[in-house]
Formats: sequence, C-alpha cells, structure tokens
Amino acid sequence: MSTGPALVSILRQGDTLVASIHTALDDSEMIRFQNDLVHQIGEHRARGVIIDVAALDVLDSFGSRTLRTIADMARLRGATTVIVGIQPDVAYAMVQLGMGRVGAHTALDLEEGLAYLSSMRNGRHKAAP
Amino acid sequence: MAALIPMLRRIVGARVGQHPAAEDLVQETLARVLAAKDRIEPGMIEPYAITTVRNLVATMWRSGDREQRNRHRLHDPNEPRDIEESVVATEEQSAITEALGRLTEREREVLLAHEVSGRDTRSLADETGSTAGAVAAQLKRTRARLRVEYLLALEKVEPPTDRCRPVLLALSSADRRRQRELDAPRHLLECDLCARLSAPLLGRGPTREDEVHVPITSDPDIVAARQAARELAVRAGFSGTDLTLLATAVSEVARNIVKFATSGDVTIELLDQPQPGIRVVARDTGPGIPDVGRALEDGFSTAEGLGLGLPGARRLMDEFSIVSEQGRGTTVSMTKWFDKKG
Ligand SMILES: [Zn+2]
Repeated sequence: MSTGPALVSILRQGDTLVASIHTALDDSEMIRFQNDLVHQIGEHRARGVIIDVAALDVLDSFGSRTLRTIADMARLRGATTVIVGIQPDVAYAMVQLGMGRVGAHTALDLEEGLAYLSSMRNGRHKAAP
Repeated sequence: MAALIPMLRRIVGARVGQHPAAEDLVQETLARVLAAKDRIEPGMIEPYAITTVRNLVATMWRSGDREQRNRHRLHDPNEPRDIEESVVATEEQSAITEALGRLTEREREVLLAHEVSGRDTRSLADETGSTAGAVAAQLKRTRARLRVEYLLALEKVEPPTDRCRPVLLALSSADRRRQRELDAPRHLLECDLCARLSAPLLGRGPTREDEVHVPITSDPDIVAARQAARELAVRAGFSGTDLTLLATAVSEVARNIVKFATSGDVTIELLDQPQPGIRVVARDTGPGIPDVGRALEDGFSTAEGLGLGLPGARRLMDEFSIVSEQGRGTTVSMTKWFDKKG
C-alpha cells in the first residue's frame, strides 16, 4: 500500500468507508488490509463499511476468515459491514469450503451495498447477524 | 560425433602442427563434447566443439606442455596459479574421466563406439544379437548415467543415501514413471545434494507444457501456486466454476505448507487418462500430521485452532488422498476431473 500500484484502496464518503481490493492479496497483505481498515473505521467513526471484493477470483478459508474478522470488529465499533461483488464461482467455492457465512451482509455490487446501508440508517432493516 | 574428428584434427594441426599431444587434444575435445552433448542444442555441437578445442590448445600453450595436468596435481610451485580457466578445465576433464570410469566396461564400449567411432545402433545390435531399438535405449540410459556421475565427480561427493543415485538417474533420463515410483519430488525436498544437482539435470530438457512446479516457503507462494494451477487449467482449455474450485483447493493445501512446515512444493499436472483433469500434489518436509483421520473431520480444525483446511479442500476436489509420516512430512494428492472442455 506504499509503493507500486495500490493493492487496495479505502475511500471515505460521509460516514461510510468504501474499501476495494484491486488484486489477489497474499495472507500478509490481507492482514495489513484488515488492520488499515479497522484503524480507519475507528479514526473516522464510520457507521458503514463496504468491502468490494469483485476483483478476487478466490476467497479461500483465510480470506473468508479475514472478512469475518473485519465485520466482527466493525460491529464492535458500531459500524455495519456489507461485502459486495463476490463472484458466483467464488461464492460456490466458499460454500463448499464451509466458509459460506462471512458474518456480514452481502450485496451484488457497490450500488446495492450503499442502498442497503442507507436503508439501515433510515431504520428500515434490522442489523445484519 | 565421428564427423567432428577430421575438422578437429585440422584445427589442432593448424595450431600445434605435429605436436605429440595433437591427437590427445582431439580425443579430449570429443570426451568433453560427449559429456555436454545433451545440454547443447543439436546445431550448436560443432561450434561448441570448435570453441572447446581452441580453449584446450590455448590452455596447453599457456601451461607449457601437456604434462600440465599432472604437475598441477603435485602443486608444482612453478605452476602458474593464476590461470583460473585452466583449473576449471582440468577439474571438468578429470570429472569426465572419472564419470566414464564409473560406467561398466560394456556401457563405455558401446557409448564410445557409437559416439566417437561413429558406429550406428544397427551394427552394434548385430554384434550382440540385439535390436537397434534396444541399443538406442541402452545408449540413452548410459548417457543419463554419465551425466549423473559427471556431476557427482565434479562436486567430489558421494550421495548421502541409497535413494540418491536412482532418483538422479530418473531425473537425468527424464523417466517420469520411474520418478513417480521413487517419489523423486519428495527426495528433492529432503536431500540438499540431489536438489542442487537436479537443476543441471532438469535444465537440459525442454520445459514441460503440462506440468508446473511451485516451491512453497512463504505467503506469496500460496497465491503463486493457485494462479499457476488456474493458468495451467485455462491453457488446457478448461473453464467454468471448476477453475475456481481448483484454485481455492490449491490455496488451502499450499497454506498448510507455509503454516505447518518449513518448506515444500506444489506440483500441478495435466492428466488425460481416464479423462481430462488436473492433479495437484502438495509435499512438505514438516512435522507431519499425527492423526490424519481427525484432520479430515470437519470441525476438528477449528476446535484445535489448526485451520488445516483439509476437509474443505477435499470437498472442492474430486479425488483426495493424504499420506503423513511424523517427523518426515505430508503429501496431499488431489485431482479435479473436467468432463467438458471449453
Ligand atoms: Zn539425494
């Protein structure tokens, strides 16, 4: 995240953070992403977090667990996490792996994710499990 | 090879005239070309021979006479020690001589008759009531053995285990069936000497289109392994969800190596029998899994905090087997069959 093309980006939009993973991350990069994101959730007092994983062609047990950890930590900080862009093949592999539950709401794409967060804010939904 | 002799005699003659060492230089050049033959592109043999003979002549002039090699062994204080090249050349030469000496008399006879005297396999076969094909196969084995013995002689080592020579020979002869029987990849993980020698032995053949080998030591290698698997599968014309299942399973077994073993590797191989597919073999030299049965039960991993990911990988693939030996390491083999191409 310091040199070379960015592997991930985290943008702030009001009280929402939009984090995008742009390429396959190895485990250390995934952990760094988790730490950065959780740090920014606290720093910006974010209420909503969107993680866009559309660029990932694999979400293995480690990747899935990391997403779950991020969602858990965000929830403890009072933020709701939506994971968007999980590819159909990737979703199928996650279920086969036994990692089907990421502990966060999921949405098809960024737009849907933002819509979900705003409806949450307006109290039309209950919090995700 | 025999066709080189007149040319080499001309080159040597032009430089040393009727020097008594002339014929030795020709023979020495042939021995070197012979040892290097399989590492040289077919069209490059002649230039290689010419370069070699020129170097030998130059070395001889520099050292004064052809006794140079022997004086060298005696550490004659008058010996010019600064000629690095001649030292290297001498070591290579004695390695070749030693390697040739380790062949059986029969092997050596047939090899030299064919390579130096230019006898064809047919006439050699007639002599012993064999077939040309059998002689050719024998020559191939002999060359493979010569390469192995040459490398061992050059390193001045005896292999540490009984398995080393058979493994090196299987690599040298590119005999995949034999490599599998001997579990050669595992031996290369466990044996430093063979791992080192395998590079020049494997380096000569064309790179295989249907197999990828990814050494695994750290995080980024996990990503490299799963991407290599996907690329190989795509190149073979496979597509669809199975690619993702394959890549995910490779990711899981590669991570096991990083987490629980010091080093290992993942081999990904195309299969066409009994149907198109991809086989993945992950080997490590880690402590081994004490209870493989339990490691394959769902929930075990999370309960123990081990996160082996093995039950998941098994579900993603069509075939899955695991062999683990405590203190020696673990081998996971798994296969994905692709019914439809494209
Ligand atoms: Zn060995």
